[in-house]
Parts: sequence; structure tokens; C-alpha cells
Amino acid sequence: MEFPDTLFPSYFGAGPPQGQGGPAVAAGWGEHGQVLGTSRGCHKAKVMFVPQHGGMGESWEPADAAAVPLLPPNTSCSIPQLVPQDILYHSFLRRKLSMDKPGPLLDFTKQLSHFFVDHPEDAFGSLGQLLHKNFHLGDSRVKKEVRDNTIRMTALMEEINRLEARRGCPWKRLICRLRWFAHLSRDWLFEVPLGLLGDSVHEELQLQWTRLLFDDSLTGGALAWLPPEDGARAGHLVYPGGEAMNRLYFQEVVLDKLPRARGSPAEFELNGRIQQVATARSDGKDFVGIRSDYHCGVWRVPGRAGAAPTPLQVIHTRVPASCLTVSPHLPGELTVCTQGGSIYLWNVETGLQRLRHDPQTMFFRDHSPWRWSDFTAHPRVLSFADRTGLQCLDARAPERCHFDLFKVGEEARCQQGERVMLPMYLGRAHPSQHLVTTQFSMYVVDERLPLVPVLKWLHMMKAPPLFAHLSPGDAGRSHKLLLGASLTQEMLLLQYQGERRGVQSACQLVGPPQKLHSISSCLEHFRTQLPHHHHLLQQRLGVPAAGMAAVLKEDGRQESLLVFQLSEAGDVFYQRLTHEERCASPKPSPVVPSKATALRYRRWLKGLSEHCRDPPQHSYPPTRGQKRLFTRKELQTLEGHSALHRQARQQMRQAMLEGGRIQHWDLPDSQTSAVPQPPEPEQDTDTLSTRLTAAWAGDWNQWWEKRSSFYKAQRQRALQERRRRQKRGRRWQGLSASFTSSLTYQSELSELSGTDPPPSPVLPGAGSPPRHSPPPSLELDEGLLSSQSLHSRGIPKERRKTLRDYLGLQAEGPPESLEFPRSQDSQLCIPSSQSQRSSASQTRRKRPRMGF
Amino acid sequence: PFNEYKLNFGKSKEACLNYIQEAVLQKQWKRAAEFLTSYAEALEKDFSKGPSCPSEIIWRIGTEILCHHPHSSMREFSSFIEQMKTLAIKRYLKVCLEHSFHLLCNGMIDEASQNLSLAVSWRFGEQSILQDKEMKLIQAYEGLLDYYRWSKQKNVLLERGEDEYEDLSVEREMHSYFRKAALNLKEIIQVPGVWDIFVQCYVDLLEFYGDNEEARQVLKEYAYNSKFPSNPNAHVYLYQFLKRHGESKKSLISVLKILHDLVPSHELMIDFNTMLQKSKKRRNRRLGLEVIFAVLDYAGWKENMKAWSCLARQVKQIVSSEKHLDWIKQEWNYRKDWWPAFHFSHYLAKRNWQENESLSYEKALVAGILLGKDCKYFRYVSKQGCTAQVKRFQTLKKFVHKHSPIYLRTSG
Repeated sequence: MEFPDTLFPSYFGAGPPQGQGGPAVAAGWGEHGQVLGTSRGCHKAKVMFVPQHGGMGESWEPADAAAVPLLPPNTSCSIPQLVPQDILYHSFLRRKLSMDKPGPLLDFTKQLSHFFVDHPEDAFGSLGQLLHKNFHLGDSRVKKEVRDNTIRMTALMEEINRLEARRGCPWKRLICRLRWFAHLSRDWLFEVPLGLLGDSVHEELQLQWTRLLFDDSLTGGALAWLPPEDGARAGHLVYPGGEAMNRLYFQEVVLDKLPRARGSPAEFELNGRIQQVATARSDGKDFVGIRSDYHCGVWRVPGRAGAAPTPLQVIHTRVPASCLTVSPHLPGELTVCTQGGSIYLWNVETGLQRLRHDPQTMFFRDHSPWRWSDFTAHPRVLSFADRTGLQCLDARAPERCHFDLFKVGEEARCQQGERVMLPMYLGRAHPSQHLVTTQFSMYVVDERLPLVPVLKWLHMMKAPPLFAHLSPGDAGRSHKLLLGASLTQEMLLLQYQGERRGVQSACQLVGPPQKLHSISSCLEHFRTQLPHHHHLLQQRLGVPAAGMAAVLKEDGRQESLLVFQLSEAGDVFYQRLTHEERCASPKPSPVVPSKATALRYRRWLKGLSEHCRDPPQHSYPPTRGQKRLFTRKELQTLEGHSALHRQARQQMRQAMLEGGRIQHWDLPDSQTSAVPQPPEPEQDTDTLSTRLTAAWAGDWNQWWEKRSSFYKAQRQRALQERRRRQKRGRRWQGLSASFTSSLTYQSELSELSGTDPPPSPVLPGAGSPPRHSPPPSLELDEGLLSSQSLHSRGIPKERRKTLRDYLGLQAEGPPESLEFPRSQDSQLCIPSSQSQRSSASQTRRKRPRMGF
Repeated sequence: PFNEYKLNFGKSKEACLNYIQEAVLQKQWKRAAEFLTSYAEALEKDFSKGPSCPSEIIWRIGTEILCHHPHSSMREFSSFIEQMKTLAIKRYLKVCLEHSFHLLCNGMIDEASQNLSLAVSWRFGEQSILQDKEMKLIQAYEGLLDYYRWSKQKNVLLERGEDEYEDLSVEREMHSYFRKAALNLKEIIQVPGVWDIFVQCYVDLLEFYGDNEEARQVLKEYAYNSKFPSNPNAHVYLYQFLKRHGESKKSLISVLKILHDLVPSHELMIDFNTMLQKSKKRRNRRLGLEVIFAVLDYAGWKENMKAWSCLARQVKQIVSSEKHLDWIKQEWNYRKDWWPAFHFSHYLAKRNWQENESLSYEKALVAGILLGKDCKYFRYVSKQGCTAQVKRFQTLKKFVHKHSPIYLRTSG
């Protein structure tokens, strides 16, 4: 191919990039770049000027309102995408830690604790076996003769569980037994050296975080189109799928008016996530290279229709491979790059040949281990790229014969901080041209004019383009270039031209660059969903893109460009663009999907929701099993009581069978409040806590007096006196006051009866314990729940609270609240201690208001 | 509250810009124009001095919209740009240059020229490096336009020349254009860069006035100054210049030799090869073979009839004379592991035979000699040729069979 006889003018500098770059949102617009006059020195009177950017291009209009699903959803992919919340500290800890260290903080402790829970065998396996005899498991007591060197683990486990249950509780204390065990075993219990493990976990976390910010392993894309032999209407789409994107599919796709899949795809299961699918056709056969982190494979697909793909060879790399490209010149030849600077020429017949190994980047220091390579116009010369630029090297003498093709620097008028994202050989459009994309710009470089890009355009994409696809135009037509980003799913269609009137000319960007639909754009065309389904769908459609492919289709006079896009969840979508003649008035792009595409949306959604209907078992909210709450015997004794009992029992049983809730507690009295009882505060069981509570409430003195038995009698007398006074006072007070006091009493009661065991130090010497002597009138109304009635039915103490809680949660209102209009006579039965406590609690409530 | 206002304002500005970008990228020009108007209105309330430069944004987006908007006119475009020139004062030169480009592409050369000369006289504060570069470019384009005017006058004079009618004013005008153009063009081509069009124009001017020595100097500087990028066109211009002025074969060969080292796949290599073949020196003929082999290494030449017939002729010549077989052997050694798959596969034999019979003939000859008579390509093509009873294929078969022992010597 000839070299254009005149190039667009440009300055040529050397050294590091100086440019700051214009405003990112508009950097690529409003420029012609440079112009060239086309009739130099000729005898023609008129000179024509052509611009480098913004010339006339072809008009390609979207034929669909949004991207359309091509294949059914990849339902096996249910692993949620990693989100920043998974690995970063949030909540108060983050605020606390970020005081001295700005920026994201990795939640290291959570990951490490996950390790011990998920891999106990690795963490404690053999030590566990060694110490087997010294650990006693089970409920029985440890025998006397082995008690000296045996720990009862059940108790320890219970403590741990209790600790777990009280997560987030401000009064949480480490039980001394646990503390003791932790101290004792800290140094030797883990088999994995903690320091090393910590380092590795931290390293991995950092890796995951950087991947979350920018994942370059997807560079090149994992979607490819194998065009049919001339004349046929069906090609193959090669893409990964399955749970971990580890299955390779070759799906035949017929290009009718709408593309559709034909038959079931050829499938290969690989043992790694497929990161890249690269193809090239040479000698009439398609060669498909597959890259996963540690393995690369090559398949051959014969050109004729219906022929099955054959796997040819697999290589294993010790460090992750970052690039795999297939030679368009020689059959069965590929190039592989690994992270950290090695480049290999891989021939299926002769094997691997390492051309270079250099952990350093080429032109200046950059930390990224990413490397890329591609073929050039010369089958023995490969391009080799890192983030700083591109070099071409001769495979026959890689050390001696090489030249710089592209440099991030003043040579290409780069911006500061600009880095190479994806180079691509544009051989199908022009044998010596290459595409280089960076996060800011796209460049077309010519091997014959190294370092000076023959075309440059600032693409303004929000994420760096990691995918590119070329649809070469025939003589006189523009080449269609698609750029795709992963994170934002953006796709941009550019047109460029390197030929005018049959003569090679300087490269020009023609027509306005155009944005294509992203997968997530089709969300609004699905029918309305329940909010959480909508959210799931939104999440599914919004996952980063994983690949892009396109095919130019001619249908009589109508040309269309089909663009396929693959998401990281393994879904394949497509969109069509139709070629409009210049003179024709531009058709408005459709807003509503056509009937046929609407059907596709419906089907796709159906496929997705059918799978999503059965969420994994563990996502159910935890429920209490019927068996654990009552034994058969207990349930039988319950029967034969009042109608209310039977009804309640029936409802409860029904609800338990269905795993649902008791929606309405059908009681004769409908004065129930809809708000469930707030969880009761933890009772302080030890003296210290009670003492502190008393001190806090302001009557520490009283507590002390109560505490010492010396004042026992005195206290009794005082109590009696007080009760008398209370009675007298109440007579003078109105009804409202008595009402409030009964309310207080009520809550006190529920607090008391709900705790097991009750706070011991406040028990008065005389009188029965309060929990066993609720007011007799209560028993009738509250029948089902009172401690005594439960006790009388043989329900053991430990379960009473559980049952009460359960019913309190399930019923619409707490049954206790039925007792609101308690008559005054019940006051007579208030045990003294309770009335004391109630007064204490009243003061406690008032205190803050009075104090401030 | 002011900070909050600023923050919210910034956010809504950003959102507005995103809408504009979306609309422009989807070619919804009217929508984009509406958004841009409200963006510009909103900016009037903006008192913050952020790092982003809204005037440049408005200039860029506005230009893009006006270039494609169905109802925009050249007049509207110009008035918009005039406003922008005063608004985006720091990018004044850039805006001027781009405006001139727009005028030039629409055939309004005089307006563009006026625009450029206005820009040249512009002064504002201290010139940055970027502005200095832009100023030089503006001058160069001014020179280019002067060159075109000169060339127009020259043509007028040449046409009238035979009438022996001397129009002094036209001639004087022409010379003044020459002076202006030469001055401006000379300036820029001294700065490292790709200045193909400026160099060509400058050399044309110099040649017309007979200053060949200066022209040669300029071209040599353009081709061989190491500060300039290695531009194949620079060598081509020098070669063409030397050829025009009847320079010796030796100097032509030396120019092309350098081009061969830089770009072995350049289309001039065919001429170079022909030139070398005609040479009496053995070294040159050896180089000729090397050149033609190197040309065919490249994918772009894979099916080039001219190149293959050159190679076939030379190979045939060497084989017939049985002299310098080692040349072929040496060249073949570099390629024997990949040329068979690259050029001589069965698939290619079939395709070449179907698409271009002559090409397959030339390739079959080379394949038969380099790979022996049993090679797939040769066997397929000679068989097809003989079945079709094409005479030259029969002679080809005889030739290759006769010289088959050569293959053993070259491949060994």
C-alpha cells in the first residue's frame, strides 16, 4: 500500500508530555485539527481544502430504541459482583480510622475472620487433631480423672455464641474464660503463620480494590464474531458464560432482519475465568485464542458452515497472562504477554519462543505490570506495548532489531498522566496502521512513520476504552471503528478514511463520532417491575461490559452494522445501525421498541426471573422451628383449654407450617396497639451493674441500705409506711394519675417476668417473689402468656421467654398491652419492691429533663 | 451556604454538560443547542473561578453543533466565532486558526486569509509556548495561501506568455506573493515537525526562481535532520527532486537505500529494485534481490503482481545462469520457516488461481524453485495450468523440473 504523498502538518517534539488537556467533556469537539490543500501547483484554478477532523462521513442511524437481548440470560451466573462495601470499612470504624489516614480503608479484619470461619481445616486442622483428647465436646460433665487436662468446649462455644448474639451491644464484656483461652492459645493455635497470612490477605484486598477501580484483565474483550464464508448468512459468536464465565460457547447466529441464535452452541468447559477471546482468520480458517489468568488456549474453526471447533493447544503460565492475540498472517500463530514483562511468540507447531523479558517499562517508569502485543504488517515483527508506549520488535532478532512505534510523550502530543490502554493492529483496513487508545485519546499510528500519530482524537469517554473493533470499509468508504469501555458500558462509533479517489491520502476522521446504546439503556423497555425486582434487574443490566463485537451486513441495498455487547454477567445484547444515504432526510431514531424486540425483552426477563424466583436457602429470615419450641407432649396438654387457646394454637401452627406470620391475632378485644413491643433491655444480673444503675439513677444510698441485711427490718417498716402513704395520696389524686402509675407498673411487670432469673438483690424478705404472684385478675385475660400459666402447663422456665417473645413478635400487638384499662384494685397487689422500682424508674425518666 | 451553593451549582453545571455531551454524541443537534443555551445562561450567575474553562467548552461544543445543525448558516457560525474570540481570549489564536480552517474547507479562501492576517497582528500579554507555536502555524498557513495565489498568477502569466504581452502589475503581484510566501514557509520548516505541504510549496517556489541549491538544502535538511521525525515523504521528495534535476544514479541509489533501511515496504522499492537490476555492479544487484525479497515480506504486498514478477524474473535469471545461487540461499534462509505458510499454502494456491492467474504463475515459479517441485503451491498451480492447457504453465513446469536440483542446493 502506498504511503500518502502529503501528510497533515504537525509539530514534532521530544520528551515527557507537556500538555494539560482541555476540558474533558468537550475536548474532542470544535476542531478541524489541520487542513490540507489538494491541488498544489496544478493548473487547476480552484484549491480544495480537506480537514483532518470533521469531514463528511457516512450516516449510520440506530434502528432500535435500545440494546436488545440476543441470547437468553446467563442464569447460572448468580455470583454478585464485588462492590466497594464488601471490602471497605464503613460505619463508625471507618470514620474513626480515616481520621489519620484519608482515602479508602480496606476492611482487613473482616476478611481475615472470614478465613478462619471458611477454612477451619486449613487454619486449625492438625492442631485440632493433636489436642483432640484435651477438648471435651458434649453436654455431659467432664470426668473427674481427666479434668486436669481437659477443657469443656461446649461451655466455651456457648459463650462464643452468646457473644455473637450480643454483637453491637454496648454492655458486651468478654467472658473471662474466653479471655483466658484466647491468651493461652494466641501464639500456637493457628497453623498458618498469622503474619504471613495477614500480608497475603492484605495484598489480595489491595489487588481487589485496584481491580474494582480499574480492571485491565478484561482488555481486548471476551466476545468475538466469526464471519461466515462468503455468501452464507450465519456466523458464529464466541463468548464465555456459565457460573464463573468459565464455559466457552460457539453459538451459530443467523443474520436475518433481526439476528437470532440457531441451534444449541458448542460448549467447552475450562478451568478458569475467560478474560479474553481473540480471533483472526488465516488460510480460510478461524483461529480463536482464549485467555484466562493462567491458561491460554487456541481453537480452530473451519470456515465451512456446520464444522465443529477443535481445540488445538493449551499453555500454562506461571504469572497471569495479560494479552493474547492471533496472527492474521500465519495459521496457528499467536502472541502471549504475561504480567511483568514477558512476550512470547506461540506457534501451535513449534511451540513457545520467548522474545523478551523486561520487568521495567519501556520509556519511563510505570508501576503497571500490564503488557500487550499484536502483529504488524510484517509477520515476523510484533508490536509490544506497556502503559508507556509501543515498540516493534523482530522475532528473529528481538534484542537487536526493534524501533519505537508510539511513545507517551511530546512526540504524540500526549497529556500528562496519559497511559496506553489498548493497542490494536488495524491490518484489515490498512496493513501498516495500528490503533492506540489511551484514557484520553485514540491514535492511529503508521509503522512507516513511527512516533508521529497520523490521526489523533480526544474521545471524551468516561472510562478508558478497553475494547475496540474495526469494520473495514471498501474502496472509497470509511472504516468504522468501535471503541468500548468496560466500567461504564460506553460504546463509541468513529469513522476514518485514508483514501481519496482511489489514492492513499492522509488519515482523516470523518463524520461526527457517535455514541451507541449501552446494555443498561434497555432498562426502561422492560415492563414495570416490583421495586426489588427492578433493583435486581438494574444491577444485572448495569454490570461492566466484558466484550464487544460487530458485523457489517449487506441486505440488498440496505447495509446495517450489528453491534454485540457482552456483560460481565455473561449476557449478550445487540443493536443495529442502518446506513442512510446522505441526501435522505434523517430518520428520527426510534423511541419505542418494535413488537419483535419487545417480545425479546419479555422472554429475556422471564428467563431471568424464573431463575431468580428460588433464592438460595440461607436468604430466608431465620424462623423458629415448631419442634424446638414445644414438644409433642406439651402441645397435647395445651389442647382442651379454652376456645381462645385452640384458636391461637391453630393459627400459630398454621403460620409455622407456612413459614409465615400470624397476620391478625383475632381476639375478642380489639384494643391492641399495632406497634410490637420494643426489645427489652438486657437485665443486669450482677451486683456491680445494679449498683451502678442505682448510682446513675441517683439512689445509690437506698441501694446500699437495701443491700445490707442489717437494715432489713427497718426497711420493711419503711416500706409499710410508704405504702400506706401512697394509698392515702392516691385517694386525693385523680384517675389520670392512677392510670399512669398502672402503666408504669405494667411495663415493670413485663420487664420482670421476662427476665430469667429475676434480679435477686432487690427481693424483699417478706412476700412472695413477684414473678410467681401476678395479680389474680391478670391470669384470666393474659392466660396464655403469664409465667404461671406457662409454668402450670409444664413449659420449662427457659422457654417461657422465647415463647413470649415469639408471640409478642408475631401478634399484631403485644398481648400484655391488653391490660391497659386496669382497675384500681389491682394496685393493691403491687409487691413493694416493684412499686419501689417503678418510682425509681419514674425518676430515672424524669432526670434528664430536670437536669438540663 | 455559599459553599453549598457553589457545590450545587457545580453539580448542576456538570449534569448540564453531561446532557449536552449525550445529545451531541447522539447527533441530536437541536436538543444540544437548547441545552447549550441554558448552560450559557446559567454561567452568567457563576461567580466561582474554577479550573475548568467554560469559554473553551462553549466554543468547542458550539462549533460542533453549528457545524452539524440543520438550520445553521455560515453567517451565524462566523458571528458565533467572533463572540468566542473575545470570550476565550487565551485561546484566541486557536479559535482564529480553527475559524480559518472552517472557512477554507467551505471554499472561502479570501475570508480565511483575512482572518489569518488579523490573527497575526494580535497581541495579548506575554506569549506562551503554545501560543508561539500557534502563531507560527498561522503564519505558515498564511504563507500557504500566498503560495496558492502566486501559483494562480503564475498560471495566468504562463498562459499569456506566448502572446508576448507583458503585464507588469500581475508579475509584480506574483513576486510579492512569492516573497511573502517564501518568508512564512521558510520559518516553519526549520522547526521540527511534519511539514510536507509547506516544504513542497517552498521547494516549488525556489525551483521556479532557479534557486536549486537552496531547495536541495531544504530537502536534505527535511530528510536527514535527526530532530525531525523519520518521514518517508521527506526522502521521496528529495529523490523526486534529484530525479527531476537529472542527478546521477549513484546519488539516487543512495537516497533510496536510506529509504529502504527505514521503510522496506515503500512503494518506491519497486523502482529501486529495477534501478539496481540494471546496475552493472554485483553489489547493487545483490541489494536488488534483497530489496525485492524484503518488499514481499509485508502483508500489503502479498498479492502485488509487480513485486512478484520482479522476484520471479530475478530468481529465474539467477537459476538459469546458475551464478549467485548463494544469494537466493541467503535470502531464503531468513524466510524458509514462514514464507511457505505465508505465501505458498494450498489455500492461497487455490485462491490465487481463481482470482489472478498471472499472479499464481509468478508465485508458482518462485515456489517451485525455492521449495522444489513437490511444494503444494507449485503442484496445484501447475496442475491447474496444465489441465487448462495454458502454455506458459507447461513451460513453467518444464523449467522447474529441469532445475529441481537447484532446490536441494538452496535449501541445504
